[in-house]
Amino acid sequence: MANGMDQSRNSPSVPPPLSPGGRPGGAARFRGPVVKPKNFKGTLRRLWEYFGKERNMLTFIFLTVLVDSALMLMNPYLIGKAVDAMSLNHGKVNFSFLEVMIVVLTSAYIGDAVLTFLQGWLMAGVAQRIVKSLRDSLFRKLQKLPISFFDARTHGDMMSRLSNDVDNVSTTISQSTTQLMSGLIILTGSFMMMVVLSPLLTLASMITVPLVYLLTRTIAKRTSILFKKQQDQLGKLNGHIEETISGIEVVKAFNHEEKVIEEFDKVNTKLREVGLKAQIWSGFLMPIMNAINNLGFAVVAVVGGILATKNMVTVGVIASFITYSRQFVRPLNDMANIFNVLQSGVAGAERVFEIMDEQEESNDPPNAVVLSKPKGHVKFENVSFGYRPDVPILKNVSFEAKIGSSNALVGPTGAGKTTIVNLLTRFYDVTGGRILLDGKDIREYTRDSFRRTFGFVLQDTYLFTGTIKENIKYGKQDATDEEVEAAAQMSGAARFIKRLPNGYDTHLSENGGSLSQGERQLLAITRVMLSKPSILILDEATSSIDTRTELHIQEALLKLMENRTSFIIAHRLNTIRDADTIMVIDNGQIIEKGSHDELMAAGGRYYYMFYNQFKNIEGALD
Amino acid sequence: MKFLSKYIKKYWVSFCIAVLFLTFEAVCDLLQPTIMAKIIDKGVARKDIHYVLQMGGLMLAITAFGAVSAGTRSVIASIVSQNFGTELRFDLFKKIQTMSFKNLDQFDRASLITRLTNDVTQVQVFVNGLMRIFVKSPLLAIGGLVMAVRLNLHLAVVLAIVVPIVALLIVFNMRLGLPRFSKVQKALDGVNGVMREYLSGVRVVKAFNHFDVEVAKFTKANEHYKNQAVAANRLMSIFSPAIMLTVNLGIVVVLWIGGWGVRSGTIQVGHIIAFINYMTQISMSLMMISMVFNMYVRARASAGRIGEVFLQEDSIAWDRGSFNTRTEKGRIDFENVTFAYASSTEPVLKNINLTILPGETVGIIGSTGSGKSTLVGLISRFYDVSSGMIRVDGEDIKQINPKVLREKIALVPQKNILFTGSVAENIRWGKEDATKAEVEQAARTAGAHDFIIAAPEGYETMIGQGGVNFSGGQKQRISIARALVKRPEILILDDSTSAVDVTTEAKIKKALKTYAKGLTCLLIAQRITSIMDADKIVVLDHGEIVGIGTHQELIKECSVYQEIYRSQMGKEVQ
Repeated sequence: MANGMDQSRNSPSVPPPLSPGGRPGGAARFRGPVVKPKNFKGTLRRLWEYFGKERNMLTFIFLTVLVDSALMLMNPYLIGKAVDAMSLNHGKVNFSFLEVMIVVLTSAYIGDAVLTFLQGWLMAGVAQRIVKSLRDSLFRKLQKLPISFFDARTHGDMMSRLSNDVDNVSTTISQSTTQLMSGLIILTGSFMMMVVLSPLLTLASMITVPLVYLLTRTIAKRTSILFKKQQDQLGKLNGHIEETISGIEVVKAFNHEEKVIEEFDKVNTKLREVGLKAQIWSGFLMPIMNAINNLGFAVVAVVGGILATKNMVTVGVIASFITYSRQFVRPLNDMANIFNVLQSGVAGAERVFEIMDEQEESNDPPNAVVLSKPKGHVKFENVSFGYRPDVPILKNVSFEAKIGSSNALVGPTGAGKTTIVNLLTRFYDVTGGRILLDGKDIREYTRDSFRRTFGFVLQDTYLFTGTIKENIKYGKQDATDEEVEAAAQMSGAARFIKRLPNGYDTHLSENGGSLSQGERQLLAITRVMLSKPSILILDEATSSIDTRTELHIQEALLKLMENRTSFIIAHRLNTIRDADTIMVIDNGQIIEKGSHDELMAAGGRYYYMFYNQFKNIEGALD
Repeated sequence: MKFLSKYIKKYWVSFCIAVLFLTFEAVCDLLQPTIMAKIIDKGVARKDIHYVLQMGGLMLAITAFGAVSAGTRSVIASIVSQNFGTELRFDLFKKIQTMSFKNLDQFDRASLITRLTNDVTQVQVFVNGLMRIFVKSPLLAIGGLVMAVRLNLHLAVVLAIVVPIVALLIVFNMRLGLPRFSKVQKALDGVNGVMREYLSGVRVVKAFNHFDVEVAKFTKANEHYKNQAVAANRLMSIFSPAIMLTVNLGIVVVLWIGGWGVRSGTIQVGHIIAFINYMTQISMSLMMISMVFNMYVRARASAGRIGEVFLQEDSIAWDRGSFNTRTEKGRIDFENVTFAYASSTEPVLKNINLTILPGETVGIIGSTGSGKSTLVGLISRFYDVSSGMIRVDGEDIKQINPKVLREKIALVPQKNILFTGSVAENIRWGKEDATKAEVEQAARTAGAHDFIIAAPEGYETMIGQGGVNFSGGQKQRISIARALVKRPEILILDDSTSAVDVTTEAKIKKALKTYAKGLTCLLIAQRITSIMDADKIVVLDHGEIVGIGTHQELIKECSVYQEIYRSQMGKEVQ
């Protein structure tokens, strides 16, 4: 017998990735968050909702488990009967009975194999489907979350939730569900069989139960604290690794290798200390359980022996009984394991649900209007806003942008330029005042139709994996090839696209790796050109491009801005001097407003900024 | 996997002791069924209570011994595996931190992080498992076989058929399973890829209202992953029942043969029970072994990934000399320098000849990709030149320990890299024992002092996780302060004021002039205004120097410079 390491018996799916044999041995916990879930029952109940469509299938699987467990319970009894058929003393064997037993046993074993296979086969589908729907709904949820959510979180954390945590849930479902079912059935079944076989022996073997309970509890209490500590320490270590490897240029430039290594050593050593304690404690669990099982085994043998000598039980009964008592203890041992797996799974689910519970972008009001033909008239009325309530960013901003006008926002870093754009596009909602588009509060439009009004060219052009054509079409999914090419022609991107080996079908890796920054920006402009938005937003569209390349792009941008209301944020003042209106923002307020010539004539802040930027050059010109 | 030999040498004794105790444990497990058989055959059959008690006592003693062995083994296994993991991780980290950039560039940063965390853990878990069950399963299987054969040779014939079949099943399992599981891994990469892209481009997705497309993309990847996972798991679900069935049918045969044996008096009933017990034990061990193989394959892959890093031979020699003559502090000479990154044959810098005198301020300008950052990186010996020579203070830097070299230089990189910790701690990166006054002076010069003291806890304000988020321009200024506090001989600002508005930039430059007298200063910039008052301006174009001179000189002679100038002045020039 395998002394409790046969937990895979009922989980015919893949072996658990990190805990072979499901030992609660510590290292298995290294990756999975065995941080104790905060609300075990609640999360479990929520997870159960995802089982929704699969409930019928689960019921069916449960039935197979039930039948299978019954078969497994029968087997020792049958073996016992078969042994009894060979009566002990005189070499007399009841062959006709033995034959019957053997046929029954064989069919039971075959039945068991078929059922186990069926369980594994079906469960693989169920578990993966549930996890898939969990992952899908997580991703769908992400679509509805406001930008503020993404601004506040690292990508690493999100990725880890989508992959590690969801995987944890998957392992839990595929392993624990059938195991838990069969465990419970076998536990009760064995107990019943034991009582039927011999109440006295049952009583004798029960002495181990309280021992098992007490020990598991004591050890589990200690280890769960230690494992939590280990996870924390591991998190710290990973943080340190992430930081020092991403920033290795600085580490090296400042000769800080040794200091960084020293610090790593400290955290690493601490991790070892906690990890070691956790592992040793949890490592004790198995041998002790094993000893207790064997103790039970010995007690049954001795008591059984005594009873047999008094002819109170047959040898066959003892043989069956021992097998049953093992079957009885095994699920008990497994339960501890299952509980561990379950805990880490639920902790994973909790981290997934945390995102599910995030506040979504507010829903469209019931009477929301679909914005069908936007003209592009924008008006800010006493708009106030702060990302945090105690830190106001915009104070009482009011302005009007006429249809087809170009409007520039200038000012020092942190003045609130990007915030104005974030509010205008409803990435964030205003906290005071209102913003009107074509005479209506922007919150009265459906979010979907409203956003379609805008076209963005940002400092960070984001290109997606795919062909150039696909990337351009991002602006208009159903665009024809002719439309794509016309847009590229207009933006000037066609020039470099033609030079590429596969032209429009050239495949781009993540974020357009092989293209230069200028080329990427041209693609982004083409994308917007194709989508023909009514309002255009250029947020530092050319600031990461050298000024010569900028000249080419400038042309494209001017074409893009024709007949469109546009908002331009720029550091380089020469890029905005042609704007109809220039607004100087400082400290969350508009302090000057007017055309370039007006502002220069006024000799205020803009004049000073402009002078500052160009004085040297102009001086050199003389 | 040569890197493992160090740890094998260190831990093999402890490892063997652990395995020894594991063997004791296995032997104790194996003895149980035999004793049980004796209790039944000798004690119960002969109604000898005394014998039953004696054997029962023996069984308990063996159990106790087994438990002690297991406990000891567990402690040793924990110590060995934890120490091993800790050391491996430390060595790997150290290796990565001290590798040259040429070596570093061979890996993705993210991949290096995974190797340090996930892969090390995989190997550690396997080593731990090795001392816990992986060795025990074969031991139990072999032991079970030996005991079963010793118990009864006739019945053992059954094993001669069952074991090869099971072995075959395990082989099939591995053969079929591995490629399928690697497909699953790949599909998972796909899912993660879509997710990563979404997260990086979320503003664009939102701006274009492209939720449907993204969801469709994700659903496709997710569906693919699900299908692969289901296929792999379904295939696997055949093997475990098949192995069980083979062994169980073996048990039936044992019962049948046993029946005949009992009749002919050659086999005792207790033997049959024990034999069946052994068979179950063997089958369980075999199942474990098949799992161990799967684990092994995973750990092997991880060890391979770790080994790749260790295999990198440092391309830069470290233990060279230092500067002898320190007469010309802060002089830099480029002599016919050509440089290409390992990833391509196309040189990034071609035939660079340039002399920078002590105390000079040199501006470097040129379009994106013209080689500006590469040029200054070579001075710090982040890479070694492909041909030609760079001299700092008159010494060939290839002859100088990079540590000594970098002591002289302070770099403000293009990307803002600050570390978790307080503002003061971050600035002190430049000089660990800098006084408060020094830190503040550096911050003032960098134009950072005012916003730092405006932050809730001033210089003790935490940066990074859970801390205050400074804006891009503010972070740039903190990293300038970090470089200044070092009081270097050579200061390199790699486009470090791009996120700082023009007015603030002018202030910083003015302050720098007073702070850094006699300091050699290299300024990379996009804006001509940032560098036009430099002593010397270097114009780079496609990796070549196309002009060196003052602003006045270049504006007359250098066409590229004129072009840049025109582009920034817009209509003003016409």
